[in-house]
Amino acid sequence: MSLRRQIATLIRFELRDELRGGEVALVVLPFAVIALLTIPMAVGIDTPLLERIGPGIYWSIVMLFGVLVTQRHSSLAPAAARDMLRLSGVDPAARFAATTLATFILLLGFEVGAGLATVLLYNPSLSSWWWLAALLPLTAAGLAMIGTIGGNLVSGLQTRTSLAPLIVVPIAVPLLLGAAQATEGLRLGAGILRWVLLLAVVDTVLALAGVLTARPLEESAA
Amino acid sequence: MTSPTVSLRSIGVRKPGSLILRSIDLELHAGSATALFGSNGSGKTTLLRVVATLLRPSTGSGSVLGAALGSAETDSVRRRIGLIGHEPALYPNLTLAENAELAASVALGRQARSEARHALEQVGLAAAADRRASSCSNGMRRRVEFARMLIIAPDLLLLDEAHVGLDPEAWGLVGHLISDVTARGGSALVVAHEEERVRPLVDHTVTLVDGALTRNHS
Amino acid sequence: MSARPLDLAAIGTLVTAFVAGLVVPPDAVQGDLQRIMYVHVPSAWLAYLSFTVTLVASVAYLRVRSLRWDRLAGASAEVGVVFTGLALVTGMIWGKPVWGVWWTWDARLVLTAVMFFVYLGYLALRRSFEDPEVRAHRSAVLGVVAALQIPIVHFSVTWWRGLHQPPTVLRPDNPQIDAPLLFALLMAVTAFTVVFVALVSRRAELTAAEDAARHPDDTDATAGSAITAPIVGGRTT
Repeated sequence: MSLRRQIATLIRFELRDELRGGEVALVVLPFAVIALLTIPMAVGIDTPLLERIGPGIYWSIVMLFGVLVTQRHSSLAPAAARDMLRLSGVDPAARFAATTLATFILLLGFEVGAGLATVLLYNPSLSSWWWLAALLPLTAAGLAMIGTIGGNLVSGLQTRTSLAPLIVVPIAVPLLLGAAQATEGLRLGAGILRWVLLLAVVDTVLALAGVLTARPLEESAA
Repeated sequence: MTSPTVSLRSIGVRKPGSLILRSIDLELHAGSATALFGSNGSGKTTLLRVVATLLRPSTGSGSVLGAALGSAETDSVRRRIGLIGHEPALYPNLTLAENAELAASVALGRQARSEARHALEQVGLAAAADRRASSCSNGMRRRVEFARMLIIAPDLLLLDEAHVGLDPEAWGLVGHLISDVTARGGSALVVAHEEERVRPLVDHTVTLVDGALTRNHS
Repeated sequence: MSARPLDLAAIGTLVTAFVAGLVVPPDAVQGDLQRIMYVHVPSAWLAYLSFTVTLVASVAYLRVRSLRWDRLAGASAEVGVVFTGLALVTGMIWGKPVWGVWWTWDARLVLTAVMFFVYLGYLALRRSFEDPEVRAHRSAVLGVVAALQIPIVHFSVTWWRGLHQPPTVLRPDNPQIDAPLLFALLMAVTAFTVVFVALVSRRAELTAAEDAARHPDDTDATAGSAITAPIVGGRTT
């Protein structure tokens, strides 16, 4: 089987596993929407203020709750299943790519869902909103990669649900800053190309890191 | 004389602070099945994982299906190794058929949906094929793993107490799988505790004691 | 544990730098408050140095698989976290009278704080593993991935143009700092670097001793020999 077909097969089954479990759509997304709902309760219902800070809050929510998407139950195959995949001759880098792409798809859906909730609750004004077509995938890709790496680092640990976010969130901050600065630039009508390039650079470095470290991480699970 | 399927010389496995395997010499020949006995904690699973090329030994040398242990060559032979471990390797939200299909597809390098269904039929799970793995018993999940092995048809079969959870009528699967592999010229290594039940299914037996194999009849 | 030449050098240079920092004239604009730079700047330098050492040692471990490199990576990260914290605290103490706030949300400060938490996460990961080899593997991977923060911190200061001062020393033709103050600063940087080397070296030795105590390598008995036949009804089965 070619590498591409292996990855496509793994993605298909991983997404099917997640969609049946429903953790992202039925648990993480509602939790994120609750967060979006409760922040104005704490900050004060000042409509112009909320319009102004809505996009920033959105990106914070994407980062913090997006981490939960990357650590969903279905993203980590059972230990015995990992052995099965290793013996099937699936390259560790291919497995990294498959899990990352499945997570990327789920994160995109999550970003769109949380984005709709933000627009409804905060009424942000966004000119050139079509730039989001670049920002959403770039942040989803970066978060998916760092989340997959983080999940592999903490696999097998009792504390993995709290340790993974501690590891992932600080490293994901450049993604948050790039996305938030870009969105602020859109609001002000300024150029945002450099933030988009920053996101692209971070994603490229993470992709290289993920592929290069896939095999050493797999060996440490034995 | 053909070279052995598996050849281990003075294999040792040491973790920081504990010695698991001291010095293992073992040969598995084509067309033969060997049972591995040993008390709890004696290192049987560790030895099996070394043979499966999933664990790099600390000392010693060996080859599995012609590939030197600990080298990059093992990547190319892994597809020919079939392992059924302690825990069933199933995704809980996928159906039994999907679990069988996933493993078979990546191992065979092509779509294997019809083979998966047929194999599930052979192991007596045709009617339960569309049930989610999480709602199935351990014995049923075990049978799915046997189904996978029937599809993959490995040259080296490794069973780590794979019979645990199987009901009496499913026990026949163990013997069927072993004879299927050995008839094709492959080898099998079976870890078990029930000596009387396993002896009739194998050609040789070895016992792991104090990190080394004794009563090696191969 | 007796003092080694390195320990004595660390103490000696630190005392010298301390004296130099107190003796040189104060800054014309900021007065004596400026002296905190003699702690803040070297601490910030060490933050970057230590995480670079962690990166290099992590890569070395992944290539060579010797636990010595892992211990170096861990020791460097631990010392680095301390100095990063010190850089942040001294920066805040300096910033309050100058900028009027404890925390400015300047990009470089924020990302330095982020680096602090990245390496706290790294240390938390290290602490989670009993097996030194699994610890080494996983930490090495995180050490490499975490290090990609460092160039982002560097070029972000020009992009975000926050309140943080632009680098004053690193323009060789026209450093914006007078000679005596520059001398005191360079003394401080040298002293802190020697202290860093001494601390990392000691910490790595300590880790080796801890590993050896928890996992003595001279065991000749197999792990399995610890398991004996159960005793049921007063008799072994």
